[in-house]
Amino acid sequence: MQRYIVRRVGALAVTLFFVSLLVFVVVRVLPGDPALIILGLEANADSVARVRQALGLDQPVPVQYVQWVGHALRGDLGRSIQYDLPVGALILSRLNVTLPLTLLAAGFMIAAAIPLGVFAATRHRRWGDYLTMTLSQLGVAVPGFWAGLLLILLFSVRLGWVQSGGFDGWGEGFWRGLRSLLLPAIALGLFQFAVLARTTRSAVLEVLREEYVKTARAKGVAEGVVLFRHALRNALIPIVTVAGVQLGQLLAGSIILESVFYLPGLGRLTLAAISARDLPVVQGVVLFVASMIVTVNAAVDILYGILDPRIRYG
Amino acid sequence: MMRVTTPIVIAALCAAAVAAPAVVSAQNPTSLVVQVPTEPPGLDMTSNPSSAIAAVVFDNVQEGLIKIDRTGKMVPWLAERWYTSDNKNYTFFLRKGVRFSNGREMKAADVKFALDRAVNPETKHPYRVQYEAIQDVIQKDDYTVTVALKKVDATFLYTMARQGSVIYPREAVDTLKSQPIGTGPFTVSDWVRGDRIVLLRNKDYWVKGLPKLDRVVFRFIADPNSTLAAIKSGDIDVSAFGIGPESVDELKKDARLSVIVGDTTNDVTLSMNNSKKPYSDKRVRLAITHAINKDEVLKGAMFGYGKILGSNVDPTNPYFVDVSKRVAYDPAKAKKLLAEAGYPNGFDAVFKVAPQYYYTVRSAEVVASQLAKVGIRATIQQIEWGQWLSQVFCLAPCQTPDYDMSIIGHAEAWDIGNFANPKYYFRWDSPEFQKIYQDSQVTVDDKSRRALYVKMQEMLADEAPAVWLYMHPRLVITKKGVTGFWKDLPAPVQDLSEVAWQK
Repeated sequence: MQRYIVRRVGALAVTLFFVSLLVFVVVRVLPGDPALIILGLEANADSVARVRQALGLDQPVPVQYVQWVGHALRGDLGRSIQYDLPVGALILSRLNVTLPLTLLAAGFMIAAAIPLGVFAATRHRRWGDYLTMTLSQLGVAVPGFWAGLLLILLFSVRLGWVQSGGFDGWGEGFWRGLRSLLLPAIALGLFQFAVLARTTRSAVLEVLREEYVKTARAKGVAEGVVLFRHALRNALIPIVTVAGVQLGQLLAGSIILESVFYLPGLGRLTLAAISARDLPVVQGVVLFVASMIVTVNAAVDILYGILDPRIRYG
Repeated sequence: MMRVTTPIVIAALCAAAVAAPAVVSAQNPTSLVVQVPTEPPGLDMTSNPSSAIAAVVFDNVQEGLIKIDRTGKMVPWLAERWYTSDNKNYTFFLRKGVRFSNGREMKAADVKFALDRAVNPETKHPYRVQYEAIQDVIQKDDYTVTVALKKVDATFLYTMARQGSVIYPREAVDTLKSQPIGTGPFTVSDWVRGDRIVLLRNKDYWVKGLPKLDRVVFRFIADPNSTLAAIKSGDIDVSAFGIGPESVDELKKDARLSVIVGDTTNDVTLSMNNSKKPYSDKRVRLAITHAINKDEVLKGAMFGYGKILGSNVDPTNPYFVDVSKRVAYDPAKAKKLLAEAGYPNGFDAVFKVAPQYYYTVRSAEVVASQLAKVGIRATIQQIEWGQWLSQVFCLAPCQTPDYDMSIIGHAEAWDIGNFANPKYYFRWDSPEFQKIYQDSQVTVDDKSRRALYVKMQEMLADEAPAVWLYMHPRLVITKKGVTGFWKDLPAPVQDLSEVAWQK
């Protein structure tokens, strides 16, 4: 198991190196000179040169890369041009919103999808199955931002139960913070919930046809035990795979939903930074998010090893 | 076991959150929540020309010697009066007892410091050109300052009323970007990056009885649909900018809301690359103008809100004359002019527009269909704002703009000088126009200056270096009971000093 983990962590480091390279290059090939966008309609050759120098854009690209990675390794992601604040601090302050939002969405997704998927599998080709699958089909078909708008229209404009958006911070109390994240989390998790429910259903269905399930039932094991101890655990590998990928997608999806619900999270920070060509922020956020996703994937791989002993020796 | 409890816990959390005490309503008689679409890139008006900064800071936190009031008139402000005998030396007499929000009294030394700093090329003041005429700033005593100009500058007083000319305390110059201090009715209390800026009432404000609000929250909401939902659910009290004209009729029917429709200095302009064939030919430019039915454009793109323009000068300008009828909608004449210019079968053209501004794409769609009727086959290419700036607007180091036609709103007041600048992205080079403009810059007498402005407007209409489509309207949505908002916007401000909740 230890060797397996070491190998996975090694692969993680290599992946992160390529991620950093990719992020850096992509940001550099974006059309539109950052110096121009920063200076706006009043730019002249002089001020453009000055800003380029201040941003370090006048140096060769490989030198820029080495400097950036060197600083990043020491935890320094540079300074935001727009806010004149350290990028690291900016990211941390925005995580206050995005992390709970993503976790809430993930919680909603897992808590709703797995029981519903198992339920559908046990009611195979009966009305419960069809109902569940119709519901999840709807979830796959409706885009998150649209679902978000519909939720706002119903729960805040019509019913007035929750606010239409915005986030006053955790300082105003835990409940108030949570309330403002509820609708966005549901909108964000809806699509992923639908995908996960379908995956769970088919994975459990497949396992239910296995001989050992038949054996367990034949020797008189209670149906609940059959379902959760024998079937679900063995069906978990594809479920965990999908759920791991989905965690990353939730983070990416928050970019759009944070705009719909005007939440001051990482997604909106990225969007604003891209249009303002705030390069240090764009690079920093993308590197950070990519690292999180890569790390989650590595964690999922390690989890495989725990779930299925065959994998770690493979 | 875990699998059973998780959903229950989440469900319980959700239920508890929904059942928690009602969200504190935005409607608090001394507090106002105002939506603005863009977060300001810093709060320093002396280093960045962004109108998003002015919307929060100008006249709310920091003020100038002269103020542009809600009718567009220049009124004495931090300077209670001024005089000049030769139009080259202006002496300002400062109001006594005006305090900055840090408690210190504003004195002539602060005015000298702010103006010297604007003139100094090291400062990187975004509008340095406007201060180039200043030769010296002389502090006579604590309340008297004389500004000596190198030459007569008819726009000097206007420059003193601009956002870049606000007065701030010398000792607070380093915190202008995050914590600007001024003499205004409000002070910056809190800036939650990415979410909101909170202003609090300046208790020592020098205008008695103002401001009427204790607290103003500027919330950054860019998405028009989210803004609409927020105003309808009551989470914001005012939408200052961003709700499109398509929603206005519906909002007017809502008894809880009021809609303000007013004038702005934002001229939506169809630009043509005058340095490129066929747009270098005046007959082609006139043909394009004749081919466009501006009423239809206004209806199609703006649901009829806004005003038709005939030149670069908009109705908020005191020298405005209506020249829109000089080159009227006449497709037959357009075809004739095209044939004369050697394009009897029309030509192909590309509109480069930035969808960041919704009205550009909508207007281009209507215009393209109108141009098709006279044989000009125009396609629309949507490009991102950064690309628009480098391709169309062609900022340095760009040498030649890469576009045929585009559409964008030019929001600055008194910007007719753009047409006297052959390097501007229109690339219109008319020595005759440039001469009239230069004259207007040194003509202080109001009557003569007006005559020059009328001449320039007529010349722009007749020469058609661009097509001025319409003035973008000011559309502000407020909750019923919010009073004191400016109807028109002659300057880039959101002055909240007189805004109040009706008792």
